[in-house]
Amino acid sequence: MAIGQAAAGTPGGGSALGRALAPLLQPRTLTATIYLLVSMFVGLTWHVVLATGLLLGVGTLIIWIGVFVLALTLLAWRGGAWLERRWVRAMLGVDIPDPYRPLPAGSLWRRARVLAADPATWKDLAYLVVLFPLGLIWFVVTTTLWALALGMLTAPLWFWVPADGGMALFNDGVRANLVIDTLPEAILAGVAGAALCVAAAWAVKGMAAAHGAVALALLGPSQNQLQARVEALQASRDRAVDSAEAERRRIERDLHDGAQQRLVALAMDLGMARAKLETDPAAATALVGEAHEEAKRALAELRDLARGIHPAVLADRGLDAAISALAARSPVPVGVDVSTGRLPDPVESAAYFVVAEALTNAAKHARASEIGVRITRHRDLLIVEVIDDGAGGADPAKGSGLRGLADRVAGVDGHLTVTSPPGGPTVIRAELPCGS
Amino acid sequence: MRVVIAEDSVLLREGLARLLADGGVEVVAQVGDGPGLVAAVDAYRPDLAVVDVRMPPTHTDEGLRAALEVRERAPGTAILVLSQYVEERYAGDLLAGGAQGVGYLLKDRVADVGEFLAAVRRVGDGGAAIDPEVVAQLLGRRRKADPLATLSPRELDVLSLMAEGRSNAAIADRLVVTEGAVEKHISSIFTKLGLPAVPSDHRRVLAVLTFLRV
Repeated sequence: MAIGQAAAGTPGGGSALGRALAPLLQPRTLTATIYLLVSMFVGLTWHVVLATGLLLGVGTLIIWIGVFVLALTLLAWRGGAWLERRWVRAMLGVDIPDPYRPLPAGSLWRRARVLAADPATWKDLAYLVVLFPLGLIWFVVTTTLWALALGMLTAPLWFWVPADGGMALFNDGVRANLVIDTLPEAILAGVAGAALCVAAAWAVKGMAAAHGAVALALLGPSQNQLQARVEALQASRDRAVDSAEAERRRIERDLHDGAQQRLVALAMDLGMARAKLETDPAAATALVGEAHEEAKRALAELRDLARGIHPAVLADRGLDAAISALAARSPVPVGVDVSTGRLPDPVESAAYFVVAEALTNAAKHARASEIGVRITRHRDLLIVEVIDDGAGGADPAKGSGLRGLADRVAGVDGHLTVTSPPGGPTVIRAELPCGS
Repeated sequence: MRVVIAEDSVLLREGLARLLADGGVEVVAQVGDGPGLVAAVDAYRPDLAVVDVRMPPTHTDEGLRAALEVRERAPGTAILVLSQYVEERYAGDLLAGGAQGVGYLLKDRVADVGEFLAAVRRVGDGGAAIDPEVVAQLLGRRRKADPLATLSPRELDVLSLMAEGRSNAAIADRLVVTEGAVEKHISSIFTKLGLPAVPSDHRRVLAVLTFLRV
């Protein structure tokens, strides 16, 4: 969100003269001039729209229509602010990120409430209201400066044209005390006009910067918001690191307690079998059989472990196939409804593990008899919901599984909610941003 | 029976070749990737190709894709796909062209040499061999108004073994009952599920799998 006009195409940055002339030669000066001239009319339009919408809305509030009128007006000014952000970026080179809180999926009413409670919505309104008076100032100053500068610059070409014999720079109607009516005067005026052009370019640059600052303050995220965002990112990164660490420890433990022990037993059985091969072939055969079983169990365990780290089917075939496979392996009947195509890997992975952990919990702790999994996409949010009819009472603060899950979800900038009243039902819901 | 093996792990490839040779199966070529498999099938026209799902370069499912290509170029070739994981979805891809001469087994099944060789022969003869884990996934799927609920536990056992591609004799052997009893169970299953009675083992597998997958 830097104000990016200083660097844009500064010619002759070396000499003082070059620097002084720089704004005059930058294309940004032209676009900024256009912006400053147009902003008054944009502001005026918004004044009319907002005054009409708000007055009409409040006036008809009593017969309910007002609610809709106000809602429409609100949507209109959010849209206007959205447009204005892009317009400011294109013309003034000021990059303003959208400051809005993410809209939840769900009913229109719920979305409207979040929309109305978002301070950014009201700052948008403030911006559109101040746009007119600000635009008025910019318009007057810009037109005056450029008209004077360009008029004087070109004076040598047309000073003789006006009927009363010269170009009146200042005329109070009684005595024209500053009239350019000779060539030397006109040339002098031309030189002054050139200087004024430079001044006008600087003024435009200044006004553009001022307007950019106002727009950034009102249309951009607040300092608090940025600070909160930084803190949230920091916390989620810390937790992601912690959870990766915990995951590695778990894998090490699983390997050590599972497959490794089985392989030790297998090697032992085989060693004993070899020792007994000559003396006691029957016992040796039994030991080899045991070793064979042990080897198969080790294989199964390794396979489960690998699947727990990252299931191959997820990478190959996507969420639908992977979730179906999970559901098929679950001891509790699972209804699956996945209506998304392929998504970025981290999102698919997070969604998969939310479902995997939720299914495990529902079967193990909640003693559920039926589980439903639904994965849908709302614009750029992936909604993962797992609902079971079990005992409820799941608490993310207690179970490390659910907390790890929250961390994993936070790692992709998502949000996990667990609703689990005693007696059930338990609803685990993850909202994962998945790009657009 | 003449067999081509496509497996990128040398250890496993050599082991498989030895195991098959010991079992009286002739291994005519061993390759390490998908294009190699297609070329070997073109060159040797084997009865059966034993294919690993994950092979270079991407290590995802090129074995499966090569197998499907082989099916297209040389439709008579039986395919036995081995995989570190079995997933119902892959089985679906493989079975899309019918269950004639198709096998899909977990790699671990190699450890039970006798069973594995029987599966190799069955697939090579135009039969089917579907991993029990795939069948379990199919049976575990929840359906609306589940017709499987009307089956008795014994009938479910028989259905699973049928879906794995086993013959009546093999099913009878496994469940320690007579073949006559198995036939009775099977006709009862077909009636309860509303499937048309099909005489041959081969077409029966497809009927059962199609039913389970829908």
